[in-house]
Amino acid sequence: MSLTLENIGRRINKNWIIKGLNLHVAKGECLALLGPSGCGKSSTLRLIAGLDKPDEGTIKINHKDVTNISPVNRRIGMVFQSYALYPHLNVADNLSLGLRIRGVPVSEQKKRVNNALGLMQIESLFKRFPSELSGGQRQRVALARAILRDPKVYLLDEPMSNLDAQLREELRPELRNLILKGGQPVVYVTHDQHEAMAMANRIAVLKNGRLEQIGTPENLYAKPSSIFVASFIGRPQMNIFPDKSGLIKAIRPEDLKFSNNGLKCNLVHKEWLGSSQLLLLDSQNGLLRLLCGSEESIPEEIYINWSSEKEHYFDSNTGKRIDKSRQ
Amino acid sequence: MKHKIIWVLLLVIWSLSPLSWQLYTSFCTQEAITHPLTNPGPHWTLNNYRQVLTASPPLWDYLFNSLLLGLTTTLLTLVFAIPASYALSKLKPLLARTTKIILISAALFPYVLLFLALLEFARNFNLGNNLFALSIPYSALSMPLAILLITSAFKDLPKDLEEAARIEGLGIWQRLRWVLIPLIAPATASTSILIFLFSWNEYPIALTWISKPELLTLPVAIARIAGSSIYSVPYGAYAAATVLGSIPLLIMVLIFQKQIISGLTKGAVKG
Repeated sequence: MSLTLENIGRRINKNWIIKGLNLHVAKGECLALLGPSGCGKSSTLRLIAGLDKPDEGTIKINHKDVTNISPVNRRIGMVFQSYALYPHLNVADNLSLGLRIRGVPVSEQKKRVNNALGLMQIESLFKRFPSELSGGQRQRVALARAILRDPKVYLLDEPMSNLDAQLREELRPELRNLILKGGQPVVYVTHDQHEAMAMANRIAVLKNGRLEQIGTPENLYAKPSSIFVASFIGRPQMNIFPDKSGLIKAIRPEDLKFSNNGLKCNLVHKEWLGSSQLLLLDSQNGLLRLLCGSEESIPEEIYINWSSEKEHYFDSNTGKRIDKSRQ
Repeated sequence: MKHKIIWVLLLVIWSLSPLSWQLYTSFCTQEAITHPLTNPGPHWTLNNYRQVLTASPPLWDYLFNSLLLGLTTTLLTLVFAIPASYALSKLKPLLARTTKIILISAALFPYVLLFLALLEFARNFNLGNNLFALSIPYSALSMPLAILLITSAFKDLPKDLEEAARIEGLGIWQRLRWVLIPLIAPATASTSILIFLFSWNEYPIALTWISKPELLTLPVAIARIAGSSIYSVPYGAYAAATVLGSIPLLIMVLIFQKQIISGLTKGAVKG
């Protein structure tokens, strides 16, 4: 099972909202589409689902071209940001509607629905209406519905953005286990880099409808291919030093260390985060963020230094990464 | 606050007084109506009701005719208006707006101007004296308003719902049947009531298309009672027929008042 996008382009009037997009999601892989709003990640998902048609390129599921197949026949399991549960049907009917339409016998419908309810641990809710469910419960029902579609590909559109932080943390491993167990490729759209790193095997960062970088979370973190990816991945944000002769230098807050000599700074603000603390420092290079352990004592006179191996360089015109070996 | 109550009271009196007058008249003897102050005989009577209900054909028949006509008209209108509205809600903005303007002009057109043409139509196609045939012009005349109201209901539905259904494998008719039509039920209900009311009250077309006494609709039949005698107007019987004719509507409006109001205001704001 696999999903492949080849040179996908989508245009609204004369604007290309997605252009030259190539992606491949393998069996049992979860790919996160990450980017700010308007970067084309949700539009890409709609193209894969078949809700919109690409203006160029092909979409393949299991190496079969599905570009012109209607979503009705594409066998996609999708979870919408709004969950999109049918408000006039109770949970059991919400889940069985698709099965009934596809001609599954009633006894089999019941069995499968009960199975899915059990899987999502919402057996007791089967008679409730969507309006009587909490956000987390709705999310589970929406997921159960996607599972019952017996899909070839899972598409998740910001599935957790309407849930509170604690619930998200709870649901993450559960969601991952559930959807990856079936071996289908999963495309997970999010604007939250933290969620992308937690959920995905690989992350595709999109900007203005173009693929900025694709790779494992570790890879994106260690070697961001552009200043955009560098500032999008990792919180607190990377420190970016001003442009010197066409070169931007960037360094992660946790790579800055206190030392006896180096860059002199003044403490502007301190955030104590429990396991760590974040310092906002004023230096001749502008404001810098420094992340250190919460036990670490902060010297009166602050000098900071860092290992030159931790520096990232970007071209100040193109924003692209420049590898140190090529300097 | 006090002012509001006074205004509301005035409005209630203003709109209810003709109805109460009609109700009062329907229980009065002919003498009590024509000579209210000098009438020596009995004042109250049930004779008017007895008269209209035992006439040949009795008023029940007309009530039944109007009911049948109203239901047929409503059904016929919805069968065409719902798919048309669905299509209209999917049109591109420019085309949708143009269509809407055409529909609004059609809805505002004074239909009485059409009735001579409709009469020719009935004659040519032999559609006279047939209640089912009469529902054709009725539903055609109700169609613009029905389409406008139902289109706005379709547009108000979240897009995600239909898309979720598509992805689940529901074809267009299945989506309409299982997801969309159930969800626009309130709008459909209020639209149905408006169509039914129009058909229930319509006079000029019914007058010209139907001539057989046993097929008359209520408004025409009631008008006939008023003109049944050349010596006097039987006010009592006329009033009794009117009262009986409004009871079904009253019941319907009491049951569906919420939908009627939401349907009317929705049409007003979002049309």
